[in-house]
Amino acid sequence: MKTRLAILILVVLLALLPAYAGKYALYVAIHILLLSIFSLGFNLLFGYTGLLSFGQAGFYAVGAYGCAKILLAYPSLLVGIVGGVVIAGAVSLLLGFLCIRHTRIYFSMLTLSFGMMIFSLAWKWRDVTGGDDGLVGIPRAPLEIPGLFKINMAPMENYYYVVLAFAILAIYLFYRIVHSPMGLTMQGIRDSETRSVCIGISVRKYRLLSFTIAGMYAGLAGALLPPLESTVTPPLAHWSHSAEPVLATLLGGVYSFSGPIVGSVLFYLLKDIIVRFTEYWQMCLGIIVVVLVMGFRGGVVSIFSRKGGQR
Amino acid sequence: MKAIIRTESLGKYFGQMAAVHEVTLTLQEGLFTSVIGPNGAGKTTLINILSGYMLPDRGKIYFREKEITRLGPDKRVKMGISRSFQVMNIFPRMTVFQNILLPVLSRLNKTSSAFSSLQSQKEAVEEAEKILGEVWLQEEKDSPGGELSHGDQRLLELGIAVASNPQLCFLDEPSSGMTPIERIKVLELVKKLASERKTTFIIVEHDMDIVFSLSDWIVVMNRGEVLAEGKPGDIRENQEVRDIYLGEEI
Repeated sequence: MKTRLAILILVVLLALLPAYAGKYALYVAIHILLLSIFSLGFNLLFGYTGLLSFGQAGFYAVGAYGCAKILLAYPSLLVGIVGGVVIAGAVSLLLGFLCIRHTRIYFSMLTLSFGMMIFSLAWKWRDVTGGDDGLVGIPRAPLEIPGLFKINMAPMENYYYVVLAFAILAIYLFYRIVHSPMGLTMQGIRDSETRSVCIGISVRKYRLLSFTIAGMYAGLAGALLPPLESTVTPPLAHWSHSAEPVLATLLGGVYSFSGPIVGSVLFYLLKDIIVRFTEYWQMCLGIIVVVLVMGFRGGVVSIFSRKGGQR
Repeated sequence: MKAIIRTESLGKYFGQMAAVHEVTLTLQEGLFTSVIGPNGAGKTTLINILSGYMLPDRGKIYFREKEITRLGPDKRVKMGISRSFQVMNIFPRMTVFQNILLPVLSRLNKTSSAFSSLQSQKEAVEEAEKILGEVWLQEEKDSPGGELSHGDQRLLELGIAVASNPQLCFLDEPSSGMTPIERIKVLELVKKLASERKTTFIIVEHDMDIVFSLSDWIVVMNRGEVLAEGKPGDIRENQEVRDIYLGEEI
């Protein structure tokens, strides 16, 4: 009951944010929501299925480029975002077939390699991706369903609500998945692959499902970016971008539902604050993350949990 | 009595070493069977092969006269073959209840359900509760599996193995690491589950007192081969078995 009330208050506060916050705060809030979606997907793979991926930025970029290409050709926000997610899902399904045959470091290295292949494609396939210039002039197209409604997305506030709605939907779906029989099956695979096989579970099938869903979450986060920034560039697919959900999740708590969300808020705010004071912000951020991860082995959310377990 | 599992010239080789060699066995449904033998005799390898965890290099395996030689363990579980492991193999981060619920959901083909809650799986939940009671872990249901005592973890592993509702269940040293009293209790529990659930259990066990008092049939292995098989009385009298494994005290 207390948790539900806290969630309700949080949603109301987020819904009222445009009323009391300026444009920059909205911009930051959107980025935090995007990182939260990105990290949740990553944590389905890592915290719930036991697969550490270093290539999620590849799917983020696929979602971003997919959405951008659609919006440049057909300016409809909903089509762009959904299209970006579908393309990222298809790519992650395809690469998942190759990656999920391996585990541990082999899996991590494969995902890192595929992520960097996507980065190279974004860099070199100039005709499609715009090369190192990326794609520019992406419109923040109106949200419309022909014949039903059409909402102008030019004001930042309107787009913030779209991102918030997608984030709430993504978080809700994630909650349902991890508390469902499928979520329990993924946790079983994380805990013991051999035990899972020996109770009749097709481990590869669920790994592939987890990989694809995580790819779609990364794709959704990516697809929500171009309408905000009006541009997409190859660094979105770089491995250093893949590290962001890893760090955010470790910071918040790997084995908890809310960990990646809390971690995303902390990570982004820390980054945003430190960058104002020093050009060596990455080093400072790294030190803080290391201290926090070592100080709170179960992540920051473990402070609120009696045993540091599931929250 | 019908054969539940049958092998023909089964072999598994690691380089020059024959872990299992020319094993031809017919094990009967309903008989509590123990596989015994000195360390390195090939008992665990045999269980690994029969449960599908390891594929044989040669020979054939039939479950209820259907060939299963190349089937993986997940497929064999669906046919009614389950197992426990020599080294503890549970889901340590999941609660005791979830440890039992998962194999029940798997058996009922409900693991693909992505948006329904676990509580809404009434049939599976009720069955998992029942199994928890059968293996004496009702009071520990909300504890993480990995936080149980060694003995309770062994019970949990037994619970996971029977939660698939198997017709045939292999238990690889189910009482290892337990005190003598705990051993007797656990193996009597196995015997009780065998009669109540109509499951045929095949166990690997080192405690000869327990083996001879509980088993209906004993298979003795040595150096990857079947040295002898028969009723406990016959095995006890077998001079070759006494020389190689039992000694003169049994």
